Amino acid sequence: MNLSLSAFRPRLSALCLVSAVCLLGAVAHAQIAANIVRARISGIDVIAYQTGVRDVVTFRGSLPAGDSLAPPNNLAIPTLVGGMLDKGTTTEDKFAIAQKLDAVGAELSFAVDSTTVTFSGKCLRKDMPLVIGLLAEQLRSPAFSEEEFAKLKKQTAGSLQRALENTGYRAGQAFAEAVYPPGHPNYIPTTEAFLAALDTATVADLRAFHAKYYGPAALTVVAVGDLDVEDLKAEIAKAFAGWTGGVAKPVYPKATPTDADRDQSVFMPDKPNVSVIIGQTSGLKYSDPDAISLRIATTILGSGFTGRLMATVRDKEGLTYGIGSKLTNDTFADGDWRIVANFAPSLLEQGLASTRRELKAWYEQGVTPAELARTKTNLSGSFKVSLATTDGLANAILATVHRGYDLSWLDEYPQKLDAVTLDQVNAAIKKHLNPDNMVLIKAGTVPTAAK
Amino acid sequence: MKLRHFLSFSLLPVLGLSAAETAAPAAVDGFHYVKTVGGISEYTLEANGLDVLVLPEHSAPVVTFMVTYHVGSRNEVTGTTGATHLLEHLMFKGTPNFNRAKGNSVDQLLERVGAVYNATTWLDRTNYFANLGREHLEDYIAIEADRMRNLWLRESDRRPEMTVVRNEFEIGENNPIQALDKEIYASAYVAQPYHHSTIGWRSDIENVPIEKLRAFYDVFYWPDNATVTIIGDVDPAAALGLVKKYYGAIPKAPKPIPAIYTEEPAQSGPRRVTVKRAGQLGVVGIAYKIPSGRHSDTAALNVLGAILTSGKNSRLYRALTDKNLTTGVSADVGFFHDPSLAIIYASLAPGAKHADVEKITIDEVERLKSGGVTAAEVSSAVNQLLASSAYARDGAFAIASNLNEYIAVGDWTLYVTIDDAIKKVTAEDVKRVANTYLLEDQSTTGWFIPVLPPEAPAPVPVQPAK
Repeated sequence: MNLSLSAFRPRLSALCLVSAVCLLGAVAHAQIAANIVRARISGIDVIAYQTGVRDVVTFRGSLPAGDSLAPPNNLAIPTLVGGMLDKGTTTEDKFAIAQKLDAVGAELSFAVDSTTVTFSGKCLRKDMPLVIGLLAEQLRSPAFSEEEFAKLKKQTAGSLQRALENTGYRAGQAFAEAVYPPGHPNYIPTTEAFLAALDTATVADLRAFHAKYYGPAALTVVAVGDLDVEDLKAEIAKAFAGWTGGVAKPVYPKATPTDADRDQSVFMPDKPNVSVIIGQTSGLKYSDPDAISLRIATTILGSGFTGRLMATVRDKEGLTYGIGSKLTNDTFADGDWRIVANFAPSLLEQGLASTRRELKAWYEQGVTPAELARTKTNLSGSFKVSLATTDGLANAILATVHRGYDLSWLDEYPQKLDAVTLDQVNAAIKKHLNPDNMVLIKAGTVPTAAK
Repeated sequence: MKLRHFLSFSLLPVLGLSAAETAAPAAVDGFHYVKTVGGISEYTLEANGLDVLVLPEHSAPVVTFMVTYHVGSRNEVTGTTGATHLLEHLMFKGTPNFNRAKGNSVDQLLERVGAVYNATTWLDRTNYFANLGREHLEDYIAIEADRMRNLWLRESDRRPEMTVVRNEFEIGENNPIQALDKEIYASAYVAQPYHHSTIGWRSDIENVPIEKLRAFYDVFYWPDNATVTIIGDVDPAAALGLVKKYYGAIPKAPKPIPAIYTEEPAQSGPRRVTVKRAGQLGVVGIAYKIPSGRHSDTAALNVLGAILTSGKNSRLYRALTDKNLTTGVSADVGFFHDPSLAIIYASLAPGAKHADVEKITIDEVERLKSGGVTAAEVSSAVNQLLASSAYARDGAFAIASNLNEYIAVGDWTLYVTIDDAIKKVTAEDVKRVANTYLLEDQSTTGWFIPVLPPEAPAPVPVQPAK
């Protein structure tokens, strides 16, 4: 259950023209893969990339221990195990660990999603050994204290309850429940089911899950920034020495069709904005051959200010602050294709009509050669920009591994984009999507649902 | 601790310079060299007073170009609240020279080359920026300079953009905490324009006429009310030459930029606000008046905020979150041109009571005021802030976007010197600022109280979509 534990956003965050693109930097890297060092150390896939940044080291990593691996009797166990990683180890309590990190301004956090437990860290160059040591300690030896477990259950329930206030979260949850069958990693269980599982989970359940799934077998550690690669390897060898276990990355079956209602409303009072999702399962993983063509097509429909949806539904007609389309949830399993939009209740029907008009034209008529050419340079340029920072590079490297590519993909991606033809793009739309059978979710104070 | 992101970024370690050290300025005819601090050189375009900051950074063939206008929602009055932000949106609607019909609009140019670009508005400033390959810099400067004075500003653009911005307002209103935050500021500030939020009041967003937006543009969008920042793979002289080429012909503002003379009257007692709306869990916010971001106490206030709320060892995490009374605590220490607020937010856990959480928070504040803090707490907070500083030097764009807030606060050199100020904060400083600013009579306390409807309306079956 991927919940943000941050309760609220800062006040008065500057208003952006569109908020999603406010925090990127830029660097264009030549030949990334050639400069990456990859080694198996203590059974761990270690990937290190030294950049020109001064004094900063960024870590990312994961192992397969996500919600989809939950035992049949309790779906909350993977989330709870991940939640206990920063609540103390067999040798020191959570305050002592936090003090070590805080004292040097280092960061280390864990999160559980549908397929993996991921970690994210950042420190100054001199503190790399400290962070690697704590990472190993927390992954290997969580204390699983009863007292902390009781607190975590309440915190998790609170975070879940707070998320229910968010129209976007509610729409996403309803969409996943509608298009994915139970058992598929992208299915999201109901809040009630998760809370019930939370109630009955025990420390013994957590220990059993940890023993089965936590280990180096499919653990990847990525480090990027101002680092000495040999020092890093030595620290990892020392910190993880003697650790065994874990499981291979699971292979997930494709989603089977559902018979869910194709038009659903999640009524939430006092919400002057309605969050909307229109979409379907794509049947595609990121690395499937057709996926790159469909991603280009989807970018033309709904990415950036010159994408068709923003250019018409927002810029020309003024019906929304934000609307876009994307392929998502497709790293480890087949994912989904969706349009995400916001509309005032009074403009909801008009907004939906415009959205459907654009979707229909795109589906039936395809994209143009000019759109394809422009989008190739846009995706290629923005990919390079996304590698600007240590965060961006670390994310890209880990995603490349997750998608099952060789790291050379990081250098080859622009050429792969360039090789896609107009026919491939337009064929992919028709082959994988069907607007007549898409699911529509509306979450908020939906006029048709409020009587 | 949100505001450390605005307070702890320094270029000194990047460049290996001390604040006093200066680089040789670029000599470009038509520019007056002002100063160099931390590797950033400041120039003034003599023809019109445009302020220019340049920081060469050659690790990649990329450059960030940004123009910051010294106008924000603090420059608005009743009837034009939100106008700064609405105008920012209209700045993308085109000019006679650059527009969508011609295929050379700012969106078309920048998306074609894969640039990261956007614009933002806040209390004290509005900025427009792009992070792009150096070979595209001149094209972007040409558009940016052109729209400084040649914007179309048509009613036919305002009408659809008004509903876009209104939807942005509605998205904010969906979040009960943002609604509470607006009410806290509106109560804490009765005269000074921080009273209203940057998005503005709904009725002003809907009704402000194009003529008032035009007047706003004609008052504030001039070169002598703007700062241009260029960071990245550029030769300073060449970059300045481009600035001169495109901005040099624009005249100075025909009239002086109006100064804001309204001052907030002294607050003479604690204030309270309550927001009741549908929701799940409550929130308590306690706001205190603090000085301008340029004040010498800013560094100590941020250390204080970190000690109270940053990390598992912070005082309020231990007193509230670790006891399952809150799901999270934070301190937003305002960093603005004028005096603003430091707000402690405590987000209630299921079953927790507002009064209990408020009392514990205030008890912790009073305990800190009377007993002070330990040297270890100060050291930990300072190290967290300084590490954030290093993390935020990760890319030219990150540097530019943070420097932007220091430009807005009224002294960009603080961006370079703030780390040294944070390093010097002592336990005595923290205790002193707590006793100076965390005063009950200068406080505004807000509660968000979630109200569940007596009976949620049953969803009405709808026809399947056509």
